[in-house]
Amino acid sequence: MSYAGHNSDIPIYINAVKRELAINATGQRIKSIYFGGGTPSLLTVAQLDDLMCAVRSNFALDGSAEVTIEANPGTIDGEYLSVVRSLGINRINLGIQSLDDKELKLLGRIHTAEEGREALQLAKEAGFDNINLDVIYGVPGRTMSQWRHMLQEVVSLTPQHLSLYPLTLEGDEPLCGAISRGDVGELDVDETADQYEVAEQILTSHGYTHYEISNWARKRYECKHNMAYWLGRSYLGVGVAAHSYMDGCRYANTPDLDAYLAAFTSHVGNVREMEEQIGPELKLSEAVILGLRLTRGIDVGDINSRFNVDLLYQYRDQLEELVALELVECNTKDIKLTPRGRLLGNEVFWRFLPK
Amino acid sequence: MDQSLTRNFCIIAHIDHGKSTLADRLIELTGAMGHGEIRQQVLDSMDLERERGITIKAKAVRLNYKAKDGKIYKLNLIDTPGHVDFSYEVSRTLAACEGAVLVIDAAQGIQAQTIANVYLAMEQNLQVLPVANKIDLQAADPERVLGEIEEVLGYTTDDVLLISAKSGQGVSEVLERIIEYVPPPSGDRKAPLRALVFDSHYDPYKGVVAYLRVVDGVIRQGAGLRLMGQGTVIEALDVGYFAPDPCPTTELSTGDVGYVATGLKSVGQCRVGDTVTTVSHGASVLLIGYRPAKPMVFAGIYPTEPEVYHDLHQAMDKLSLNDASLSYESESSLLLGNGFRCGFLGLLHMDIVRERLEREFSMSLVVTSPGVNFAVTTTKGEKIEVVNPFQLPPLVEIEKLEEPWVGISITTPSKFIGSLMELAVEYEGIYKHTEYLGLHGMPGELGQRVRIDFEMPLRSMLTVFYDQLKSRSQGYASLDYSLIGYRDARLSKLDVLVNGVLVDAFSRIVPPQKAHDVGKAMVSKLKEEIPRQLFKVPIQAAVGGRIVARADIPAIRKDVLAKCYGGDITRKRKLLEKQKEGKKKLKYIGKVEVPKEAFLSVLKLS
Repeated sequence: MSYAGHNSDIPIYINAVKRELAINATGQRIKSIYFGGGTPSLLTVAQLDDLMCAVRSNFALDGSAEVTIEANPGTIDGEYLSVVRSLGINRINLGIQSLDDKELKLLGRIHTAEEGREALQLAKEAGFDNINLDVIYGVPGRTMSQWRHMLQEVVSLTPQHLSLYPLTLEGDEPLCGAISRGDVGELDVDETADQYEVAEQILTSHGYTHYEISNWARKRYECKHNMAYWLGRSYLGVGVAAHSYMDGCRYANTPDLDAYLAAFTSHVGNVREMEEQIGPELKLSEAVILGLRLTRGIDVGDINSRFNVDLLYQYRDQLEELVALELVECNTKDIKLTPRGRLLGNEVFWRFLPK
Repeated sequence: MDQSLTRNFCIIAHIDHGKSTLADRLIELTGAMGHGEIRQQVLDSMDLERERGITIKAKAVRLNYKAKDGKIYKLNLIDTPGHVDFSYEVSRTLAACEGAVLVIDAAQGIQAQTIANVYLAMEQNLQVLPVANKIDLQAADPERVLGEIEEVLGYTTDDVLLISAKSGQGVSEVLERIIEYVPPPSGDRKAPLRALVFDSHYDPYKGVVAYLRVVDGVIRQGAGLRLMGQGTVIEALDVGYFAPDPCPTTELSTGDVGYVATGLKSVGQCRVGDTVTTVSHGASVLLIGYRPAKPMVFAGIYPTEPEVYHDLHQAMDKLSLNDASLSYESESSLLLGNGFRCGFLGLLHMDIVRERLEREFSMSLVVTSPGVNFAVTTTKGEKIEVVNPFQLPPLVEIEKLEEPWVGISITTPSKFIGSLMELAVEYEGIYKHTEYLGLHGMPGELGQRVRIDFEMPLRSMLTVFYDQLKSRSQGYASLDYSLIGYRDARLSKLDVLVNGVLVDAFSRIVPPQKAHDVGKAMVSKLKEEIPRQLFKVPIQAAVGGRIVARADIPAIRKDVLAKCYGGDITRKRKLLEKQKEGKKKLKYIGKVEVPKEAFLSVLKLS
């Protein structure tokens, strides 16, 4: 679910979202829910509760379902979190990004490192024991030793899950100005690659499993919701600009709030900004590309039976090339990216696009 | 028509001294075109030429002038190419005249091509009428320039008219002088026809239009004619003169200048300098020898998109219809695909051709560095002409390697002598001679002017020499040159290897002492332009197996979409599709993926 607009419109929006859920009601088993966006923590507890009920009444929510909410440090209230927890929301995603105040300022973030740590502490106290931290690496000006230090600190905060992303700049961050003025160096791809490798080392040595290109978790704490994406399972997105993949059709809701509200207030139904039928060739291609993102790679037998293909034969040229380039490891059971292949994933992926 | 009332003359000058302005003024004065009808420099008919203010194609205009003596004279004005690139065409045009008006800028004074043109006129035994032009300008210094003219050319002050072609001052005196001093054409009306082709132009409707000066006999419309040198037989479909628009007549008589529409398909069939006679009872002796103008500068021209090669071929064919001195032959490079090795009369000619291809034919081009024709004598005694560096036989098989040399003369204010002599020596020039011009006074900034002569390899002169010359002399120096023959070339072949693969298109022939610098420049350019690959790529410049410069492109470490969640999948997949598409546009050197731009940047004219 996602939303971006005026707070006063929220109730109207919630109603529209509930209607969208109702229209798509299938009674299907739901294994995970993700409140993202947007800023879900702007919703009142009552509103969150309302939505949870709407899900439960239209679908069959698994007892052990993973329900995640995104929250930004600096906007968090301990009490709020406790009540949220009691609604059945059992996982929290904290975008701390960095534990260096100078960096946070340059990145245009509104919180401080201390607020980041605090947010984590509050989450724990509120009863969350499935916590993810988003951290950014490849920030110009950050030395390798600073990064190691930051990683050690992150690890010492004992989150169950970590998502690490290389810095990308939109262009309006203070850092952009600093770079063009020469106060700080440009983004350096090699440094970024080095930091990724160091993160791999350190996180592994602290018991985190690197299970997907950008994601680490303690055993059994892999993000179920995201796994659905990488394993090609169906998902329903509700709200403005939400994406879904249902019955072999991938689509996105309109990003226009007014259009969305109009659609679901008057039973017009979905107003889609994008719609794509995923045929068998594309499904296979995506299964390979998304599946390879996982460290365990893809299971040859599984793909072969699901798609009625001989994977090792169909892609023999690509696989030969990729193995020679040491980007991929391949045997009769599975195909996975090598550590070097993880960093150069795109070079692997484009080769598996349909002809 | 009284032959004695005809005068055939042309205007010769250094660039921008006012030749075309004077021509316009003469046309206006004789009423051939009203003042309002004159477009700036009427005789230029191509946009490009008008923009650059230069003429390529000579035209002839008949002016009727009532002189002070009351008689009406028929003056044929022939406009000539002013640039040294086209001196062959200039001299053929001069052969059609009896007189030449020499225009000299009263501020700049005598320049390199002033002298070159005067020599050509003297070769043709023309009556030369010097005029000092632009006397209206602040910077004009007639006294000094008259002194120069007397010193260098031998004309006294009385011989030289002072005019301003722009304002018209003194211009009618020019016409009177022409009538008084330029002899009427001699020539026998009753003798067999001999007419000199001094220019030709392809017209899509009329075929090749030949510009002719009738020396003996007459040309009648419909006559069966023959080109004595080439042997081509033609019919005089249309016959006429320009005033300045075409005026058909039934006959061009002895001493006349005009045109004949031949119906031929390309100007190559009707070469400048040839003699036209009648098929029956024709003449037996050519008027003058002629030789096709020899190209001096070479470059490879390739389309940026190989699919467009045939369009380029067509465009070159069309251009050559009207440009007999453009030579081209098919050539192909492993990396650029099919293209042409072209020969031009000079850098200006090359520039004009390139601009016309890009503008009139909308071609996107890669133009590779100009090269010269080398003459190789192999150990077996064979003599071969080498146009492309990669055509050079292996070193052990080369007995002798020779390259063309030019004699250059630089005309400059004396204060720049030192810097320019240094420049010429830097470019492998051998000093020959200094001549002092203009000893009178030290007016203005120009001071005393000098002409220095050097000999240098044509190869040296081909790139930025002229540019350097101009910048070291604040634009005052001018250059003239001519081919003086072939000499031993002390040169090496510089090769470039990318990941161990020799790239023929990058090979160059350079002086051994420059090999390191040129090699280093090419290697660093490639390192900049070639994207990182999945493996390390060494780039090397080598001379005969010895590496003279090297740079490595490190392997790429990171290229991955870090985030790929539900909302991203279609979008990120499309990014990958774009990446895949991009690969199709890449060229390959062995396994190394190289974007077109990388080649272009190294191969482009430097």
